[in-house]
Amino acid sequence: MRTIRIEHVSKAYNGDRILDDLNLTIPSGQFFALLGPSGSGKTTLLRLIAGFETPDSGRIFIGDKDITQVPINERKVNTVFQQYALFPHMNVFDNVAYGLRVKGLPEKEIEQKVRKILSVVHLEKQMYKSIDQLSGGQKQRVALARAVVNEPDVLLLDEPLAALDLKLRERMLVELVALQDQLKTTFVYVTHDQTEALTVADTMAIMNSDGEIEQVGTPKEIYEFPKSTFVANFVGTTNLFKGTLIIEDEKTLIDVPHVGRFSVTCPTNQPWACNGCKVVLSVRPEKINISKEPLEGFANKLQGIVESIIYYGRSTQYNVRVANDTIVQVFEQNVEHVRTQVIDYEDSVYLYWQTASGVVLNK
Amino acid sequence: MKALHVCKKALLPFFVGVMYLFLYLPIILLVVLSFNASPYFYAWDGLSLQWYRELFTSTEVWQALQNSLIVAFSAVALSLLCGVLLVFYLKRRYLRKTTLLFYGTLAAPEIVLAVGLLSAFVYFAVPLGLLTLIVGHTLIGLAYVVPMVTSRLQEMDDALLQAAMDLGATRGYALYSVVLPYLMPTIIGAGLLVFIISFDDFVIAFFCAGASAQTLPLYIFSVIRSGATPMINALSTVLLAISSLLVLLFSYFTIKKGGGDYA
Amino acid sequence: MKQSLRASLKSEIPFFMVVPALVWQVLFFYLPLFFVIYISFTQQENNLFSAHTWENYATFFAWPFARVLLRSFSLAVGTSIICLLAGYPIAYYLARRAERWKNVLLFLLVLPFWTNMLVQVYAWFALLERVGFVNRMLSYVGWISTPLTLLNNSFAIYVVMVYYYLPFMVIPIYAVLEKLQDEYLQASRDLGATPIQTFWRVTLPLSMSGITTGFFLVFIPAFGEFVIPGFMGGHKYMYVGSLISYYYLVARNESMGAAFTVVSGVLLLVGAYMLYRLFVHFTPAERAS
Repeated sequence: MRTIRIEHVSKAYNGDRILDDLNLTIPSGQFFALLGPSGSGKTTLLRLIAGFETPDSGRIFIGDKDITQVPINERKVNTVFQQYALFPHMNVFDNVAYGLRVKGLPEKEIEQKVRKILSVVHLEKQMYKSIDQLSGGQKQRVALARAVVNEPDVLLLDEPLAALDLKLRERMLVELVALQDQLKTTFVYVTHDQTEALTVADTMAIMNSDGEIEQVGTPKEIYEFPKSTFVANFVGTTNLFKGTLIIEDEKTLIDVPHVGRFSVTCPTNQPWACNGCKVVLSVRPEKINISKEPLEGFANKLQGIVESIIYYGRSTQYNVRVANDTIVQVFEQNVEHVRTQVIDYEDSVYLYWQTASGVVLNK
Repeated sequence: MKALHVCKKALLPFFVGVMYLFLYLPIILLVVLSFNASPYFYAWDGLSLQWYRELFTSTEVWQALQNSLIVAFSAVALSLLCGVLLVFYLKRRYLRKTTLLFYGTLAAPEIVLAVGLLSAFVYFAVPLGLLTLIVGHTLIGLAYVVPMVTSRLQEMDDALLQAAMDLGATRGYALYSVVLPYLMPTIIGAGLLVFIISFDDFVIAFFCAGASAQTLPLYIFSVIRSGATPMINALSTVLLAISSLLVLLFSYFTIKKGGGDYA
Repeated sequence: MKQSLRASLKSEIPFFMVVPALVWQVLFFYLPLFFVIYISFTQQENNLFSAHTWENYATFFAWPFARVLLRSFSLAVGTSIICLLAGYPIAYYLARRAERWKNVLLFLLVLPFWTNMLVQVYAWFALLERVGFVNRMLSYVGWISTPLTLLNNSFAIYVVMVYYYLPFMVIPIYAVLEKLQDEYLQASRDLGATPIQTFWRVTLPLSMSGITTGFFLVFIPAFGEFVIPGFMGGHKYMYVGSLISYYYLVARNESMGAAFTVVSGVLLLVGAYMLYRLFVHFTPAERAS
């Protein structure tokens, strides 16, 4: 197995600690996404895996092999650069063949492999074109082919779709997932775009601006069960309520001053989730039901006035002002062309959600 | 009102046209006269190639040409070699500061360079000749090669070198298979530039060539001073043709292949 | 033992690659300058240098020498100014007006620059002589009856100086004007300025850096120029360059030549610096974009 293990890795630039005692395990053969805001150190981490930098302390393993001190060109790791870094004086074929030629493979074999990979990325027709004749999307695929043809253990992608426009990006994402599925190589995909990460990843890790890993898990785990307010806010949007935890025999409540008491699921085995502890409740906007009339069957209820309405096409966002000037965001899917009960500005509305829809967080 | 507006609009192009005429009048005149059968400016006796014949049979001209070519090619070879090696192998951090060292050559009037060299040569009793001339031209050559190649190198995407190594190349192989080809158009362009500067140079040659080595500009100088023959017209035309060709080549390499701006 | 020698040689290779160019520059540019200064303090007797003395410099505190310096200085300034006045419109036209012809015109502009200077001087002879082309044309169309004296005077000198140095002025100004964004000019017009006002208040200040570069690319070499003034002026007057070449090549008195070079070099630096401050004064402050 080619699991990547990053152990106690630290890296500083000019006295600036980017990564501090970082630990991460990247499972083999998966599409792994590394998500974080700009400047969080995710690119630095990628460069450490590739070998462009060496960690100040700590070790990096691929499988059983300690690659910390192994030079760039000897690692079985290949990178797809953000700006592609295609060699301008070579055509498509020579670019893709570069790594193979360096290894000294026979020309016949090289030609075979290059043709094969170019057909996988749908570029056989452009095989002998020069780089400056290609479009952004085509250059992207050449960069991909050039890296993949070397059959690396790990493929690193540093925000590869950042320079492409929306439609092209969406298409490339699909192609990338298909490619990874076909090759079964470990892909490590760095991005600051959470939609991208959620779409492609089998497993993902969230990094915060201090260079720490906040959470690792499947996209679903991360989205539905964030472990911190940072993750809850960074991936998707959420409503946060600060309050005190009240643990009773049958149920658990959170008391949010001036707003109300809400039923929550008590986090198990967490030292910070004690009776009387200060916690935060996270409820995602799409989990909240909005209605002009009272409804039955929900554990939690809030009342408020609609302050603004934003139309998103397939959903509508309502910003509702509740007690204590708190604004609660609600997303409702536009199931009907026109809502049976039209909700308008300054309408008085009820908000409902289930106990299980909320997540209790520490920080 | 319309007429005034048209006049105003036409004023600038008209002025530019006049200036270009000013620039080319002497050149056109020379070219035309080189085919003039009569040796006098003011009389036209019909087309003739006699001055070209005289040019191509003049031993003095061939000798001067030979000297000019030797000096020019040597200066190009030396300045390219030393200059490119410097840019290629110097650690990036020191590169910008080091190029400053070479700006002095271009900042000073050529006569100061020539006089400096001559002073040093005389002091050490170095015999003047083609070698001293090559030294001077290489000096000027370096001042063009180093900034041009440096600037091209700095344009290069750092990631190219990293990509090559990521794909398995050692640093040395990456330098030769990726960086050098990238620099090549500028290197060739710089070579052409140095060639032309050396070939046309008068001031350094005037001071540092001594009595024995006569280059083409020095030859033209002596001929003009002692009373020109129309053969000079033919020589000038030939030199002009060569210059045009070299300018075209230079533009091709630095603009088209070297991607981007002039100078 | 051999192993470590090889290893240390391998890491030394970059050093050997880098050194030749640096040595060349130091040896043939900086060292000679030092020599010039050194020699200027010596006396010369038949190729033997001796003594340390200020005498050489003392000789130059005389009006004839000051006149030479002044003559070269005014020639340099004059040439630069005329080049600026003639060159700016050309640069402007090339950068902002000439669409299809731009590349051709640029090529044509630069071509004379690549031509041998002596060839150019010779060509102007043919044009300006009493029996030269210009005179012949003028009398042919009946504008003059007797030939004009167009040669061996200041007129001829300035004509050829401007002719030779014009591309040096145009190219930097062109480079700056080319990068000038249309939006600035459009904004100016939008806010009510006429084309002339736009030029004075927006275009000109923003092109100052190009003007400064062009000015000094002409001014500094023009100061040391002696071939063009010599030929075109009939060798009547002494310029800095001709005096230096006299000392070095005719009188073979390198010490005096060196001293005069130093004097004129210092004057050039001082003069150039003062002019530079003047230009900086008129250049608007750079803002980070």
